[in-house]
Amino acid sequence: MTLQTMLSTMSIGMLRTCGIFALTLIGSLPLGMVVALLKKSRFAVVRGIINVYISVIRGTPLMLQLLVWYFGPFYLFGANIGGWRFPALILGFVVNYAAYFAEIYRGGIESIPVSQYEAAQVLGYSKVQTFMRIILPQVVKRIMPSATNEVITLVKDTSLAFTLAYQEVFSLAKQISASQTSFMPFLVAGIFYFVANYGVEFAMSRIEKALDYYR
Amino acid sequence: MILEMRNIQKQFDGLEVLKDISFDVDKGEVVSIIGPSGSGKSTLLRCATFLETIDGGEIRYMGGTAAHTDGSGHAVYVDQKELRRFRSYCGLVFQQFNLFPHYSILKNLTDAPIHVQGREKDEAEQTALELLTKMGIADKADAYPYQLSGGQQQRVAIARALAMRPKILFFDEPTSALDPELTGEVLKVIRQLAEEHMTMVVVTHEMPFAKAVSNRVIFMDGGVIVEQGDPKDVFENPQEERTKQFLRVFER
Repeated sequence: MTLQTMLSTMSIGMLRTCGIFALTLIGSLPLGMVVALLKKSRFAVVRGIINVYISVIRGTPLMLQLLVWYFGPFYLFGANIGGWRFPALILGFVVNYAAYFAEIYRGGIESIPVSQYEAAQVLGYSKVQTFMRIILPQVVKRIMPSATNEVITLVKDTSLAFTLAYQEVFSLAKQISASQTSFMPFLVAGIFYFVANYGVEFAMSRIEKALDYYR
Repeated sequence: MILEMRNIQKQFDGLEVLKDISFDVDKGEVVSIIGPSGSGKSTLLRCATFLETIDGGEIRYMGGTAAHTDGSGHAVYVDQKELRRFRSYCGLVFQQFNLFPHYSILKNLTDAPIHVQGREKDEAEQTALELLTKMGIADKADAYPYQLSGGQQQRVAIARALAMRPKILFFDEPTSALDPELTGEVLKVIRQLAEEHMTMVVVTHEMPFAKAVSNRVIFMDGGVIVEQGDPKDVFENPQEERTKQFLRVFER
């Protein structure tokens, strides 16, 4: 196998990795906010469910969770899981990352002083307006460093898709390396992850800079 | 009457902070509330501006009842929609300013008028600029709160409250968080508002200011109104022993 064929095969894997990354963020960033808000629900049952969810997700390996999402329907209900691989993968990632993002959001929301809510209340803002106009913009700024951490971890975690034999860049690197008895595919994969995360760091620092106009 | 508070009671975890307090504020009146810390002054303002709920008593704005004690002895409030109307009657200036840090000064003044009151953007901005001019900080319209001194921030906070066109404006120790050399500029604008007959209730430790500006002074201690009346009478000829004691501290 020439280097060129290897690279072109692996670039398909890179696209798939980017796909997992993007879909996970699109799903988990909003879902995490919903979870964070439900955690502050006035209904104890809702809070209880959310607490169990976050606890289970954080307390078990993502690799195990992916296997459960994929094989669970078969073992539990005898369902046909043909074509279920990719949906299960994305579901597993979204549900997992939503739990972590929820905790980041919660930390951010709780760091906003009560006086901001009071100022908004006296000015007549509704609860929704207070959250959307006054609280959330300040939360976004405050959580940027921890959100960056989490997004970088996600780039690397996408490699766990190999547990479900989904052919993203890491699975491909492993396969090609075994068949060609070459170390090169791992080097290519490593460079890919590093460059991707360099891009993430750059993008996030740009966002942080853009939010630097106030303190 | 703009505001009537009748037999207001408020407890925090069994501790009675307000014990049967009653007072009225008439249109154009400037009322100062003085008293030692922990006397319930701030709590009274927070109850009047609906930041705290009363346990008993009655709150009336512009002749309409916002809260009253029902047959069971508990205070009940009107529904959310009605309450928002009552909230719109009053403005509050906080000790710590509480400006919105992510909004420019202009936006701090226009955001609520536009998005809460549904006013036109142009009109809201014009009103805001007029208010900033009046406060002497028109050049700060595009700045952000962190770029301003405490005194300037507090003047923005006053302008923000006025931009909502309240019927009555409350001040919760508006100069207590300021360096001494900055209190003057804030007191000056409050004095200016008093001359324009803005209805105001000011909780303050600035005795000379209270004496000079207000039409009426209320001395509170231990959750009750100990004494109230014309500032000259209260300051120069207090009737109650507790008032005398309190004022003596300020006489040096």
